[in-house]
Order: sequence, then structure tokens, then C-alpha cells
Amino acid sequence: MDPQLTEVSQQFERFKAAFARKDYNTCSDLLSQLKVLLTKFTSLPPLFENSPNAAKELTIARDIYEHAVVLSVKTEDQDAFERDFFQLKPYYVDARNRIPQSPQENLILGLNLLRLLVQNRIAEFHTELELLSSATLEDPCIKHAVELEQSFMEGAYNRVLSARQTAPDATYVYFMDLLAKTIRDEIAGCSEKAYDYVSISDARQMLLFSSDQELLTYVTDEHPEWEVKEGFVVFQKAKETAPCKEIPSLQLINQTLSYARELERIV
Amino acid sequence: MATPMVSSAGGLLAMLNEPHPVLKLHALSNLNNLVDQFWPEISTSVPIIESLYEDEEFDLHQRQLAALLVSKVFYYLGELNDSLSYALGAGPLFDVSEDSDYVHTLLAKAIDEYASLRSKAVESNEMVDIDPRLEAIVERMLGKCISDGKYQQAMGIAIECRRLDKLEEAIIKSDNVQGTLSYCINVSHSFVNRREYRHEVLSLLVKVYQKLPSPDYLSICQCLMFLDEPQGVASILEKLLRSENKDDALLALQIAFDLVENEHQAFLLSVRDRLPAPKTRAVEATQAVETTIAPNENPSGDVQMADETPAQTIVHETDPVDATYAERLTKIKGILSGETSIQLTLQFLYSHNKSDLLILKTIKQSVEMRNSVCHSATIYANAIMHAGTTVDTFLRENLDWLSRATNWAKFSATAGLGVIHRGHLQQGRSLMAPYLPQGGAGGGGSPYSEGGALYALGLIHANHGEGIKQFLRDSLRSTNVEVIQHGACLGLGLSALGTADEEIYDDVKSVLYTDSAVAGEAAGISMGLLLVGTATEKASEMLAYAHETQHEKIIRGLALGIALTVYGREEGADTLIEQMTRDQDPIIRYGGMYALALAYSGTANNKAIRQLLHFAVSDVSDDVRRTAVLALGFVLYSDPEQTPRIVSLLSESYNPHVRYGAALAVGISCAGTGLSEAISLLEPLTSDVVDFVRQGALIAMAMVMVQISEASDSRVGVFRRQLEKIILDKHEDTMSKMGAILASGILDAGGRNVTIRLLSKTKHDKVTAVIGLAVFSQFWYWYPLIYFISLAFSPTAFIGLNYDLKVPKFEFMSHAKPSLFEYPKPTTVPTANTAVKLPTAVLSTSVKAKARAKKEAEQKAIAEKTSGPEKPVNESGSGKGKASTEKEGDSMQVDSPAAVEKKAPEPEPAFEILVNPARVVPAQEKYIKLLDDSRYVPVKLAPSGFVLLKDLREHEPEVLSLTDAPTSTASPATGTAAAAQGTPASAMAVDDEPQPPQAFEYAS
Repeated sequence: MDPQLTEVSQQFERFKAAFARKDYNTCSDLLSQLKVLLTKFTSLPPLFENSPNAAKELTIARDIYEHAVVLSVKTEDQDAFERDFFQLKPYYVDARNRIPQSPQENLILGLNLLRLLVQNRIAEFHTELELLSSATLEDPCIKHAVELEQSFMEGAYNRVLSARQTAPDATYVYFMDLLAKTIRDEIAGCSEKAYDYVSISDARQMLLFSSDQELLTYVTDEHPEWEVKEGFVVFQKAKETAPCKEIPSLQLINQTLSYARELERIV
Repeated sequence: MATPMVSSAGGLLAMLNEPHPVLKLHALSNLNNLVDQFWPEISTSVPIIESLYEDEEFDLHQRQLAALLVSKVFYYLGELNDSLSYALGAGPLFDVSEDSDYVHTLLAKAIDEYASLRSKAVESNEMVDIDPRLEAIVERMLGKCISDGKYQQAMGIAIECRRLDKLEEAIIKSDNVQGTLSYCINVSHSFVNRREYRHEVLSLLVKVYQKLPSPDYLSICQCLMFLDEPQGVASILEKLLRSENKDDALLALQIAFDLVENEHQAFLLSVRDRLPAPKTRAVEATQAVETTIAPNENPSGDVQMADETPAQTIVHETDPVDATYAERLTKIKGILSGETSIQLTLQFLYSHNKSDLLILKTIKQSVEMRNSVCHSATIYANAIMHAGTTVDTFLRENLDWLSRATNWAKFSATAGLGVIHRGHLQQGRSLMAPYLPQGGAGGGGSPYSEGGALYALGLIHANHGEGIKQFLRDSLRSTNVEVIQHGACLGLGLSALGTADEEIYDDVKSVLYTDSAVAGEAAGISMGLLLVGTATEKASEMLAYAHETQHEKIIRGLALGIALTVYGREEGADTLIEQMTRDQDPIIRYGGMYALALAYSGTANNKAIRQLLHFAVSDVSDDVRRTAVLALGFVLYSDPEQTPRIVSLLSESYNPHVRYGAALAVGISCAGTGLSEAISLLEPLTSDVVDFVRQGALIAMAMVMVQISEASDSRVGVFRRQLEKIILDKHEDTMSKMGAILASGILDAGGRNVTIRLLSKTKHDKVTAVIGLAVFSQFWYWYPLIYFISLAFSPTAFIGLNYDLKVPKFEFMSHAKPSLFEYPKPTTVPTANTAVKLPTAVLSTSVKAKARAKKEAEQKAIAEKTSGPEKPVNESGSGKGKASTEKEGDSMQVDSPAAVEKKAPEPEPAFEILVNPARVVPAQEKYIKLLDDSRYVPVKLAPSGFVLLKDLREHEPEVLSLTDAPTSTASPATGTAAAAQGTPASAMAVDDEPQPPQAFEYAS
């Protein structure tokens, strides 16, 4: 076996051991080293050069990046998730004909869809959805995300929250919690526009808090412009006055004078 | 790559955000390879890549790679400025030798940027910070061009970027240095817009030329003339004249003739004055041997005898060399003063005069006696038709008709003699003596004829006024009559053209300050003629007076004069032009248009064209508009094909003044070219509804068609018939008829042996021609200025000269059908045809004489045609003797039948043998070839002009075809004698025995 490939395999085994121990700091260091080692393989994207160990190299590289994605969920690092997912994607799209499909592919794709939903990037969500085949759409991991998005769009927020219980994998819980927060922010925005004030009990119910204290903490942290007094939450709307535009008189004068001059020249 | 590529750059772009530097480098490297396909996707990540480039902690190579990547993305986005900035940041990764669109585009951008910065640094005299990386790229590019052998590209870049050091390197390293230098001269004339920079380039070229083992002195001297360095030219000429090689002396004479063609009087006189005189020789009379030598030396030079001083051997040995130098010096001084070429031109125009007097007679008969405008126009046409030929037969034969000219018409008629006798320097004063102001009482002659005579002297001595200036000055100071002052001022301006003589200036200025309208106008023009191209502070003086005076004529004269002072100054005149074009007086703005035209004459400068077009459509004065359009002709005459295109829309303007200006612009720019587009543009204007537009179009058409034969362009014949129709039409407007009459004169100018040429063969502007046309266009206001067009006439002659500056017998070939370039056929009298039909006895002696002359002319033509075909037949061998005999038989038979049958059976030969000196039309120059077995070889390969001929058989006696002119060629009898002397030589050459008796008959 190729020495470099051997090294990568051994390093990957150490990574997986640390991952099992939930030693995420060590995992990050090892992952970084693994990525550097992978840059030496010419069979990987974007070069895709043929080599005796191309299949093995592609498989192990894909496996490494899949673990990187899952690791970013564990460490709750969405930027890392996005970076690793983008680097993983060519292995799904462009290397499809070179190595067998990964058993983790649909799970990873579902996670990515959920991430886009959480970040409220609906357009990109649909773009990614269009890239999937109809067979893939039937997978529980994908379907779960699609149903969540539909409930979200319909405003059926209770269904979104209850879906946490039926998540297909433990890694989804992190994003489900984030999604709840996203929904709450959305509801708050709508309420601010719809009402001048609302009672505390109604606000707690709408924003899906368990106690009044949680509501007050949320108002203080997220919406300091709101007022809480006499049992009501008052939405202070900033008065918006359009700035009066200044007439460009000098420009108009110059134009008029030049028109007059040109008219004088017509003979 | 054979393998399929990735479908997205997203992975690599994501890798850019990795914390590890190695991963960033990996991403950059791969993105650089994929940027051509995925640049739209990468463009969204440009800020990230830019931050990588600006990251100080990042490795240098990686930062450069990031810069290269950003540069490529900006290239695809069309942001070339940003792309160039990052390409500079890429350092060596930006490979100038890479063959890709990206590199080509950025190189062009880099060169443009560098050239722009270098120009800005020079023009604004500021220290402009130029990125050393940008300079390194340009220098790498230049180095690559030179090493690849692409010298022309390297020179172009070097000139654009103002890197004269690189230009010199490219020239020296090229394999063909002479050709490269010629190419560079053409480029600097055509594309270098700023005059000062062009001078720098030419200075460099002169320096490089001088270093060559065998320098091209012809080109060097032309460059030095552009640079206005008479000392350099004088040094070269002296070196060549002192050489013991006769060929070098011939080359010096050729250089002198070429410089004279450029018509820069001040420069030529300066060169002449800088040529050192030969040293004084001391010879002891006591020695018998030296006494014998002394008499031989005296006739050839300035050798003086000093009996007291003993002669030394060394001094004695150098005597012959110095004597030779003195002899050659005399010749070259004659050339540089212009006298030699003027004399030879005079002989040529006189001996080859082919003007058709019948045209003038027809005009004269059709013109009503009461119409003084057409009467004067006929006089103008006669003068133009005979310009430089000294043939004033028409005037002498019609003295009664001529005497009808009164007042200013008399002034013009007298001045017309100056046009006819132009170049007759020796005889000018005696010719005009009957009309000149008398030294005594001065009561005899008319002031108009006296003023006209002074003007005529100026026309005779135009641009060569050494011998006449003092007389004109004395005449100016001794009179108070403004008409005489008018003529004297014009005469002085013409004779002292461009010399900036202070004394003459003061005399003319005192006339101006009398504030007389008639004299003041001429004074203003005269001051301008005097200061042509000098652009001194005197222009401000003239402008100040133009603001003071109330006379429109004076203002106009001064406005034109100021324009003349800025001739050729280009950007140096911008301040004055700005001042004049913004003036509230339309007459001064009118002068501003001429200032723009003359300052940028022949440059096709975009800024000048834009300005003129702006005024042409926006000024409130018709005069300014007309002049703005007309001025385009001056700016564009170096590129005549362009003028019809630029002016075509204006020629359809609703404003007749603009249409008139368009016609004259085309006439000036395309003069003498016969350009098809110019003729197409002018044709509808000759039938315009407005009379003065028709006038302008007819004159412009004649200017374009001068010396274009009907065989070359059938529209020439149509135009001639149109002119005749207009002249004969009793109901035609006077303005149009005048235009037609003038057009007839211009069409056959100078005895049909001159063309209008504003550029010399070496691409110098012909100062006299340009100035002449500028003043000629003033005829709108003042008809006597029509005569200035004669300054633009250039004889279309090949005049070959031997070492002694004589015209030897010499033949060469025009490899084209003779009919393409032959003279127009003489017009026939309709009445004569009618008379021929009736068998009436004609008793008139003059008619018989004319018939005899006509028959002799036909015989000459037949002889010429016969000699042409015979020569190749004889050369091809004795076997063709039978064919030759048959040919001669055919010729004999052709003489017998009627004229109609004469032409049909005889096929036209494919070429024509020309005899030195010969008329060579500009369009004919490319067909000129030398005969292989000729005795003479030209020093310089030129199809026309003055050409020095090297004699390959010096031991044989020389046959001259043009003898020295008699002391007075004005006399008809003497003229006939001169022609008779010419005929025997030709007859002897042709070896046709019957000819001598004819000649002898002429002599008696």
C-alpha cells in the first residue's frame, strides 16, 4: 500500500478514536493534519487524475470530510460546517461514477438543508433541493427537512417544534434547537409589526416560553427597544420621517442657461 | 486535461476559509487553474482572496498567487484597471510570454497605463509616481519584442511610452537598421501628436543615423530640417563637398535640392550662410611653376594672390582640393538660395507649356463687356493658366480688351503678370518696369498699376526675396498712397516670407498704424507672412491692435496674419487659439479658425478636428462656420482620404456657408489627387441652388482634378464640358460663372505642367503652398488674393542634372498607356469645322500659320509614337527587322487617310519613353522605370523632381537637351529661338533625317 495512504489511514483511525472519546480538541487538530495530507493526492477533486489507489483515496477522503461535517455539528461551528460541506460536495456530485455511494450521504445532505433553514437562507435551501433526485427526496432525512420548511412557510410553528421529537438522527437536535430560536425571532418580528402592545401572558404564549421570566429575559436581550410596563409589552415604533429632498437649484440654473444659449445659436 | 472537471468551484472557495495556510495555498493554486471556467463563481469571493493578498503574515509566493487570481477574475469582469493593479502585485507569476488573451489584454493595458503616466509626467512637469513593477513589465515586454525580432512592435511601444532609450536599442539591434530608421521616421510623423516630443524622437534618430558606418545623409538632413538645425545640415554638406569622391558631391547637391523642395526660406538661408568659405591661398609669384598654376586657379574660385608670402609645399599640395571645394560650394549655394531650381523650373515650364489659348478666347467672347467681375475672372484665369511659364501672349493679343480693367481690376491685372513670370528673378524688375512707381515725379502711372506691380514683384520672388526686398521697402516708405502701400505690403510679405525681418516688420507696422482700411488689411496679412511659424509676442501686439481699430478690413487682415504666425506650432499655439476663438468679435473668431487650421496643419489632430467641428455647428456667425469647415481641409491634407468622410455630412447642411466650406475643405485637402470620393462629394455641389456654393464647388473640383486626364477618370471630361456650358450660359449667375472661369484656369494651371501639392516628397509641409492656399481662400472678401494660389503650384517634372547642373539627354520609361497621363487634347473651334465643310477660300495669313503649326505638332506626335514601339522591336534582335519594316509601312499609310481612320487601326502601346526633362504626373510616378542600358544612374531613386545623375561614361561627349536660358526669355522671338535650339538636339537623338530642315526653317 502507498505510504501516504497508510499514513492517512492511521491518522484517521486516531481521529475516530478521539471522536469516540468526545475529545473534540484533539479531533480538530488531527482533522487539520488530515486535510493537509489530502492535498498531496492528485486523484482527489479538482484534479481527478487516475492512479492505482484512486478509489481508496477518494473513499477515505470522503469519509474524512463526512466526519469533519459531523464534528462541526458537535462543536456547534456553523462556519466550519459550511466549509467542510462545500469541500465534501464534489465527492458526492463529481465522483459519483468513481466510487460507490456513501451510506452517510443523505444524512449529511439533510443536515445541510436544515442548516440553511436555520440560517433563514430559503433561496439556497430550494436551490439545493433542486439538485437532488426524486429517489433521494423520499429518504427520511431529506423528507424531514422538506416538511419542516413547509411548516415554516405555512406558519405552522407548533408542528415545527413538535418535529424535534421525530428527528431521524441525534445530530439533528442541535439544528432543531436553533430552528426554535429562529421561529421565535420570526414571530417577534411579526408581532412587532402587527400590534402596538400585547399582554405579557399572550406574549409568553405566542413566543412559546414556559415562564414569564424567560420572556422578560428575551425582551431584555433581543429587543431592548420594547417596553414592559403594567402587565403589557409595548412595541415602540420609531417614527419615520422622510428627509425632505433638497432642490438642486444651481444645476437647474446652469441647464436653463445653456438651453438659452443653444437656442440663441440656432439661425 | 482528459479527465472531467469538477462542476463547481465551491469546494476550493470554501477551502480558502480554512485556518491552515497550506490549505489556502492548495485552494489558490487550483483556483488559478480553474479560473477560466469558474470566474463567475469565484468573483463572489474576490474580497476573501484580496484579503489573502494583503495578509502580511502570509507567505510572499502565496500572496502573489492570490493577486494573480484576483487579477484574472477582474479581467473577466471587465475591470481592467483593477486587473492591472493585481497583476502588478503578482510579480513574476504574471508571465508576459504566456500566449493567452488575458496576458495580451493586460499587457496592452499596462503599456497604455505606462504611456499615459509618462506623457502626464512630461506634459505637466510634475513628478508622477510610476510603479516600478509596471515599468518592469513594460521593459520585459520591450526586451521580449527585441529578442524575438519584432522590432516594429518594440519601436511602437517605446515611442508610445516615451522610452527613447528602448527605441534606440530596438533600432540598433535590428537586422535592417536603414529600413528600421525609415519606418521610425514615418511613425513619428504620423502618430506622434506632440511637436516637442516628435522633435525628441527625430533627434534620437539623427544621432543613431550618424553612428552608422555609411549614414543615409538624405534622411539625416530631412530630420535636421524638421528639427530646425541648420548647423547640422551645413556640417554634413561641407563634409560631402570636401570629399574626394565625386559621388559624395553629387549626393550633397541632391540633398540641397531635396531641402529646397520643402520651401523653408529662413532655414535654407541659414544653412547657406553656415557653409564655410574656402581658405585663402598664398602663392609666390617669383616661382615660375606656381605662376603657371595661378591663372588656372583664378577662374574656379576665390583664390587670391599674395606675392610677398612664400609658398610652402604642403600649402601648395592642398590647392586643387580647395579649388574643387570652392567650385562645389558655389553650386550648392546657388541651389540652397533656390535660384538654381527656380531657373530650371522656369525653363521647364516655358519649354513644355501646353496651355490652350482657345479656352481663354472662348471665355473672353462669352463674357459680357459690362460684367467687370467676369472680366477680372478671365484675367485671373489667364494668369493661373500660364503661371510660371512667362507666356503672356493672351494679354499682348488682347490689349484693348485688357485696358477695360480699371481701379482694383487694373491692380489685379498688373499683379497677374507676377504670376505669369513667377520665378523670373533676374528679369522681374525689368519686366515690371513700365508699371512700377517712377522715382521722379511719380505723376505718370496709375496708383493701381503701381501697387499691382509691387504685388507682382512679390509673387515673382515669393519665398526668395533676397534680391527684391530692399526695392520693395524703398517703394513702401516713399509713398503715401494707400493703394501702392497695399501692393507693396503684399509684395514684401511674399518676398520675405517666414524670415521675420525686423526692419520690414517695422515698416509694415507703420503702415498699419496709419489706420487706413485698404493699406491696413494688406499690412496685417504682410505681417503674418513675414512671421510665418514664428509665434512670437508680436502676435499679441497684432491682436491688441485688432481690438483697437474700427475697420473690419484691418481686423480681418490682422486676424489672418495672427493665424499665419502660429503656422505649424501645434500645441504651442493653444493659448493664442483659445484667446481668439473665445473673442466676441466674429472676425477675430474667424481668424481663430485659421489659427487652428494652420497651427495643426497636416497633423489630422483629433483635438483640432473636434474643435473645428464644434464651431462649424455652433457658432452664431456664418463666416466663422464657413471657415471652421474650410479649416478641416488644412488639418487633414496629410490624409486626404479622410476629408470626404468627415465633411460629407456637412456638405449636406441646410446652411449654404457650411456647404461652401465643405467644398473648399475637400478641394484643399484632396488637391491634385483626383480622389474618387472627393469628386463624388463635389459633384452635387456644383449644381447647388445657391450661387456661391456652386462657385466654391467648381473651384474645389478644379483643384482636385488638376492634371487628372480624362483617361484616368471620365468625370474629368464631364467637368470640362460642364465648365464650358456654365461659361457660355447667358443666364448663369455671375458668382457661378466666375467660379467656372477660375476653375478653367486652375484645371490647366501652369501650362498644364503643375499640380497643387501641400506636402513634399519627404512629407515636409510645403510652407509656401499651405500659406498660399490659406490666403487664397480669402478671395471671398478680396479678389486680388486669388493669385496666392500660385504659391501652391508644384511643377510635375523629372529634371535630371549632371555634375555641372546641366540637363543631359536622358531617357526613361513610363510603364503605362500614354493616354493615361497625356495632355488634354486642344479644344477645337466649332466655327472652324463649319468653315472646313464649305470650300471657301481662306485668305488670312494667321489661319494658314496656325494650320501649319498644327500639322507640325501632329507630325511630332506621330514621330514620338513611332519611336516608342520601334525601340523594343530593335532590341529584340535582327530577326524582327521585317516586322519593323512593316510597322513603319503602317505608319506611313496612317498618315494618308482621314483623321478618324488614323486612330482606329493603331493599337496604343503599353508604355511611353520620356526624355529628360519630362512631365511626370503624380499618379504616374509609380510607373516610372529606368532603362537598363542608360548612361546615367540617379543618385537617388526618385520618379520626379530634381535628380542628380551619375555619369557612367564620363569620357564620352555629353549631349544636353536643355540649354542655358537666354538672358531674356520674355521676348517671343528669343523664345522661338530657344525652342529651335532644343529641336535639333532631339532630332539628332532620334536620328530622323528630315528633322533638321524643319529646325533651320524655324531659325530663320
